[in-house]
Amino acid sequence: MSEKELLKGNIAIAASALNSGCECYFGYPITPQTEIGEYLSYEMQKRNLAYVCAESEIAAINMALGAASTGAKVMTSSSSCAVSLMQEAISYACCDELPIVIVNVMRAGPGQGYIYPSQGDYNQSTKGGGNGDYQVIVLSPSSVQECVDLTSRAFYLAQKYRNPVILLADGMLGQMAEPAIIDCNKYEEIDNSSWRLDGAKNRPAREIHSLEPSQLKLNQHILNLKKKYDLIENSEVDYEEYMTDDADIIITAFGTMGRCAKEVVNHYRMQGVKMGLFRPITLYPFPLIRLRELSYRVKTFIDIEMNLGQMLKDVQLAILSNASVAFVGKPVGDWLKKEEMIEAIDNIIKEQYAGIR
Amino acid sequence: MQVYAKPKSIKENSSFTFCSGCDHGLALKLVASVIDELDIQQDTIAVASSGCSVFLYNFLEVDCIESPHGRACAVATGVKRAHKARNNDKIVFTYQGDGDFASIGLGESIHSALRGENITAICINNTNYGMTGGQLGPTTAMGQITTTSPTGRNREYHGFPIKTAEHIALCEGTAFSARVALYDIKNIYNAKNMIKKAFEYQKKGLGFSFVEILSSCPTNWKLSPSDSHKKIKEELTKVYPLKVFKDVLNG
Amino acid sequence: MVKNFIISGSGGQGILSIGSILANIFMLSGKFVSYCPCYGAEMRGGAVNCEINMSDCELYSLQNSKVDFVVALNQTSFNKFISKVKKNGTIIVNSSMAKIEKTRDDIKYIFAPLTQEALKLGNIKVANSIALGILSKILGNLPLDAVKNAYKKILKDKTELITKNLEAYMLGLNYIQEGII
Repeated sequence: MSEKELLKGNIAIAASALNSGCECYFGYPITPQTEIGEYLSYEMQKRNLAYVCAESEIAAINMALGAASTGAKVMTSSSSCAVSLMQEAISYACCDELPIVIVNVMRAGPGQGYIYPSQGDYNQSTKGGGNGDYQVIVLSPSSVQECVDLTSRAFYLAQKYRNPVILLADGMLGQMAEPAIIDCNKYEEIDNSSWRLDGAKNRPAREIHSLEPSQLKLNQHILNLKKKYDLIENSEVDYEEYMTDDADIIITAFGTMGRCAKEVVNHYRMQGVKMGLFRPITLYPFPLIRLRELSYRVKTFIDIEMNLGQMLKDVQLAILSNASVAFVGKPVGDWLKKEEMIEAIDNIIKEQYAGIR
Repeated sequence: MQVYAKPKSIKENSSFTFCSGCDHGLALKLVASVIDELDIQQDTIAVASSGCSVFLYNFLEVDCIESPHGRACAVATGVKRAHKARNNDKIVFTYQGDGDFASIGLGESIHSALRGENITAICINNTNYGMTGGQLGPTTAMGQITTTSPTGRNREYHGFPIKTAEHIALCEGTAFSARVALYDIKNIYNAKNMIKKAFEYQKKGLGFSFVEILSSCPTNWKLSPSDSHKKIKEELTKVYPLKVFKDVLNG
Repeated sequence: MVKNFIISGSGGQGILSIGSILANIFMLSGKFVSYCPCYGAEMRGGAVNCEINMSDCELYSLQNSKVDFVVALNQTSFNKFISKVKKNGTIIVNSSMAKIEKTRDDIKYIFAPLTQEALKLGNIKVANSIALGILSKILGNLPLDAVKNAYKKILKDKTELITKNLEAYMLGLNYIQEGII
């Protein structure tokens, strides 16, 4: 595909994975991401690549763990409540330093919730749903084209840092279609010959394990991981700014909500209100420093999420100035409409900025 | 003439850290001998599990990945399939306890067998959770006393144990399923042949191959090593018969 | 200029297909477009709908409180979406499967017996394409090349079906002109 096609988010992710050299996919069906597995079942079999309809998400992520240990490019995909099932193995993969791309097309929770879209897994993804000190790189697409681009980047970052990467999409983005192009993969190949398990030929045997009875070694390993996370925080932060140059008010939003909020910014700009949008593209590493810089000259931040305020905590952490932080959100279902957001923001502005308009 | 040597696939300068009289060391040595005899050390990837079996990678000179508790067969599936996708056929085996294979990981184990996943699984059945100090496991025999069945396993509280090799034999994708024991020379020799057969079947691409090894756990059984072997011979083999339950090449 | 559409009906009426074809037509005519289907349990036999946004510049909003155009292929969706039509907007209703009834005077109604017309063409399933033709007429005739290519993209090598659908589309396109309504 080198021309624009009207692509569903899920299909865009799957097609981009193949285009990025994905060799192994393991998955179990769950709405609203099932098309990813359906698409790949056909395309991967055609290419003699590894595809297993796993018996559970637990099996799927563990197959991914095994496959990643061989140095292969590996992906699994699922949705919220079933991504919860994968948390143990994600913790292992971080400790084992194994590159796995995990796609979470978020649906409503907690528990089984329902298939409605939501952004309720921000905390689980960025703070870790499993045990121990670890970090997963989290990328957040806001359009179908970004599903394509960030899937490629996910494979690259996973290999580069030997770390799991979560592509955090949502049911809205997974199901909707937009014109998008699947270009050639622009990322370099990472050499993994120094660690992959491919048989102890002309070298000592290698072992990949998280169990470590030696306190000293275990501490050292976790400290080494921390150094890696520091490096990631220094090198991989990505975000989009929209009309923030002269903004008094900045909306913070991620993923699908990040793009919907632009319409709101446009609305207020038409009325002469100096509003802008700050959209983190990497949720981990979170663009804390840039947000902090902005906070010294911005009066109000309005965080909008399809949850009850999860990224909000990171926004609050970033802001050291006197800028106030307000929240607009709703847990699940139909995305907040422009009119609903405007109504909520009007009230916030009325309370805080009686003089500005 | 040298009649006995440490298998080459056992790490140099390593010594087993299992309790005295535990069969894990012997079982691992048999696996290492088979790897030597089939000359597959450079092409083998082992999958360790949780429990006493996890330390595999301290002893065997083969590439190894440790799996989360119970998921060894799923991890092995990933290793095997990933190499196959690159046209490399590697020998992949799991080394698990009965708790790992037949309790927490039963789903992964059975489904790997049903898929006919071309891997080998070795399951050490010592009828209890050894590493945590001898609790009731999926294979604890009726009447057997453990720290969580203080008056013996009974139907009311605990229900029945699983006959793993028999269940695995029922799966269509299984090429080979057998139960062996290590309480005397004759059985040790037989066990090695069965393990060898399991690996050979994988080499031939016949499907899932499985060997359940009835093993002693003197520490948790609170018996001497020799009494432990006596228990296996006289009691446990009556509950868990030593037999080949499925062999696709021989009826 | 943003225009938005809801296409609705029941499972089996080709709601998502025709929505996807409309979105493809916009894409092939060089517009920005987004297409959001309802998904999941609702798809199985029940009500189906999708929302399409079209614009000359980049699109941000995906779902709207009100839309410019609604196509309702049965009574349930007519009832459900009549309130979603913007003031001065238009609703196209399949009068073969919905009562001709005007409850609002601030919008334009187009009633057409789409199912009956489709049956006359010999395929009940092309009612959706007749509706698309009518919509195209209201929008000032969508570029025919884009229409043809969009059908080809969705229906691939089913040439007979493409021909039949295009026939239905042309029927819809000429419907208002010929004064049948």
